[in-house]
Amino acid sequence: MGKIIVCDGNEAAAWGVALARPDMVAVYPITPQSSLAEYISQFVADGIIKADLMDVEGEHSVLSVLQGACLAGARTFTASCGQGLAFMFEPYFRTPPLRLPIVMSIVTRDGITPQCVWGGQQDAMTVREAGWIHMFCETCQEVLDTVIMAYKIAEDRGIMLPVNVNHDGNYLSYGVERVELPDHEEVDAFLGEKNINWHVALDPERPMGVDPLTGGAGGEGPALFVRYRKGLCKAMQNALEVIPAVHREWGERFGRFHAPLIEEYRIDGAEYAIVTIGSMTGAGKDAVDLAREKGERVGLIKIKTFRPFPLAALCSVLSKVKAVGVVDRSVSFGWNAGPVFQEILSALYHLEKRIPALSFIGGLAGADITVDHFMRVIETTGKALKGEVPSDTVWLNGPEENR
Amino acid sequence: MTGNGYRTIAFYPDRCDGCNLCVEACAEHHAGSKEAVHSRIRVCGDEEGRYTGIALCRQCSMPRCAMNCPAGALSKDPETGVVCWDEEKCVGCLLCTLTCPYGGIVFNAASGRVMKCDFCGGRPACVEACTRGALELKRGADLYNAWGDLEDLVVPGISACLGCNSELLLRHTLRRIGPNVVLATPPGCIAGVGAVGVNGKTAVKTPVFHPLLTNTASMLAGARRYYNRIGRDVTMLALGGDGGTADVGFQSLSGAAERGEQMIYICVDNEGYMNTGVQRSGTTPFGAWTSTTPVGSVLRGKTREAKPLPLLMVMHNCEYVATACTAFMEDYYEKLEKAIEASKKGMAYIHVFSPCPTGWRFPPGKLIEAGRKAVQTNIVPLWEFELKTGRIRFTYPVDDPLPVQEYLSLIGKFRHLDEEQIRLIQEQTERKIQILKAFTKEGRDGDETRVEGVGS
Ligand code: SF4
Repeated sequence: MGKIIVCDGNEAAAWGVALARPDMVAVYPITPQSSLAEYISQFVADGIIKADLMDVEGEHSVLSVLQGACLAGARTFTASCGQGLAFMFEPYFRTPPLRLPIVMSIVTRDGITPQCVWGGQQDAMTVREAGWIHMFCETCQEVLDTVIMAYKIAEDRGIMLPVNVNHDGNYLSYGVERVELPDHEEVDAFLGEKNINWHVALDPERPMGVDPLTGGAGGEGPALFVRYRKGLCKAMQNALEVIPAVHREWGERFGRFHAPLIEEYRIDGAEYAIVTIGSMTGAGKDAVDLAREKGERVGLIKIKTFRPFPLAALCSVLSKVKAVGVVDRSVSFGWNAGPVFQEILSALYHLEKRIPALSFIGGLAGADITVDHFMRVIETTGKALKGEVPSDTVWLNGPEENR
Repeated sequence: MTGNGYRTIAFYPDRCDGCNLCVEACAEHHAGSKEAVHSRIRVCGDEEGRYTGIALCRQCSMPRCAMNCPAGALSKDPETGVVCWDEEKCVGCLLCTLTCPYGGIVFNAASGRVMKCDFCGGRPACVEACTRGALELKRGADLYNAWGDLEDLVVPGISACLGCNSELLLRHTLRRIGPNVVLATPPGCIAGVGAVGVNGKTAVKTPVFHPLLTNTASMLAGARRYYNRIGRDVTMLALGGDGGTADVGFQSLSGAAERGEQMIYICVDNEGYMNTGVQRSGTTPFGAWTSTTPVGSVLRGKTREAKPLPLLMVMHNCEYVATACTAFMEDYYEKLEKAIEASKKGMAYIHVFSPCPTGWRFPPGKLIEAGRKAVQTNIVPLWEFELKTGRIRFTYPVDDPLPVQEYLSLIGKFRHLDEEQIRLIQEQTERKIQILKAFTKEGRDGDETRVEGVGS
């Protein structure tokens, strides 16, 4: 039996880390992740996290020291966002092909320029093709639970991939909620033995050349490269099985069931659906409730796991509705739409029947996505049932909103 | 003696406490008195008489004393290798005493002539007298044999250029450090010659990895910290090029040094990005041609001096910092020894001057000569810094350097230099020595730690 605390998402993540008993943590502060870096440091100072703290000179080294530690056998954690994540990018996209089970929070933040230190998901969305598993949380409790589950997912023998547990900057990073802290021993039992570098190691007792050069115009190089790439793709697909299994076990042990890949909210009997990701989902659910009271047959699909992309799970719900409105908190340049919308479009291609899909973008630069906004999303998507589909992305917090 | 090399008396300053036994033994053997004035080996002191080391004859292979003696009184005995002094021929000019870099031939006030080590007929009294093992009789071949016995951890047949210094360095470094090591070779020549391997194969028998060009020190730090945590003593060794050390990798190196991460970081400085087409780096010297500091009608090579990386590392409070050159392999091995010890406490940094026949445009056979000339002109001073003393010590002091042109003229990348550029390089070289010398002194009030700027 654990205890109940009141904390924000950054502290919840830090508690998740403490319960997962990492060997090494490295953090470098950046808004809105800074307090997470502080919690981690304080927890180490207080002996709550019994890990070595690597207080390094920047995000680039943050991930680099963890890679070295992980290759030596350490369970590791870090957190970043925004420009810090951009600065980390060089070691970042090397972590998955090295198959290092590092867990990292992205406290999502919008991109600069124009200068902006507020929430948004531009950072996490921009790195979605680096090969990390990406999970987006809706509540502080989900943050804590998912950080712990992330280790079990990352260290699964069939996966061995790094995991990003993302929570929205400003909203979840600073928003305080009631959070249940599980028991340390129960978490130990759930996670079991750590499983880190059996496959790749920097160890004089097992000398190996880690990551030799491949390629060249001919020979075995490109084929070897493809073998590695396919291995990583396979691991991602395996995660689509493992993530639900880990969530199920978590629910059974701790009594809290989180939707692993996607969550369906009032989809039964829905004619159309809206798609959300991250903390906006709460307002979305309220709006769906209101709309249902007014007789609108609308439901909500929350995307929890964005990489690997839960194609089959999504197709099975999308096949039940006749229109879908997707709300993004970031943009995909060149598409004039959001990345989640793009991915939903791709998923829809797998359905037998094409249905109208609408793109909404809101919550950039820390802006609120309110219930009112969602009412507009629902109303607009509802009209699509009658063939009224906007020709363009609908911007929820655009200049016309501020008239 | 053929094949074994001549003998010399090696001196280990660390073991010497200035007890004077050797001096007394030498005087006794040669003059029947223990008076220091009769000794051919000297205990040296600073102005205030504090002990600083021992001056003795090394029986040089190319003895400068003999080369300078106008009377032909000094000559190297081809049989024994001993540099002999012929009292009959000596005219007492004392020129020889001025040219010996070791202070090994000295004026004898009692006789008014010079005196020098005669090796006591093969069993030097000083060596026998020393109770601390600071003096040792050695053959030139001893060192080679000692290293030769160590395991070669690099496979034969790696793909280095002809005359590559990096290969020499890689093999010798791993020989000394041994297999209980994690080797990091960021993109650069060491990785390029195949250290980390291609298509699943590797060229070294130790764990090796290819970090990013930017994060060598960080990755090693992470691995070492974890090994410390689980109580395993594993040496972390970086062999990075100058680009990955002085340029993009400098941030992680600086951070690791600041945190005192335990590793040996060796910068293989071939003064440019050599395996990608000879582009300039932060350590490319002034005036050098590279493919990105070309020579044309407007530009004439690099316009700025090299980043003083070893000194920057001294300022980072590294446990140990040294410069080295493979033309002085014994010196390098001694420094590796110290680096291994230092890396148990914090960062040990060795900056190895690494001439590159391919990129610098000189014949591969001239590799060692290039290194030697660089040192003899003071372009590459050999020194070490130990945190515990807080001072820099020259390990091969060159008080009477050759003109820089003697080195520059060997190297194709300097072929275009005009007189003005050569003059500037001479000045830069002298200024850098002055700066280094300031670090060799003890901090005292009114001390001459003032740097004598060139041209001032
Ligand atoms: S006296 Fe000096 S220069 Fe002469 S042989 Fe001895 S060490 Fe060399």
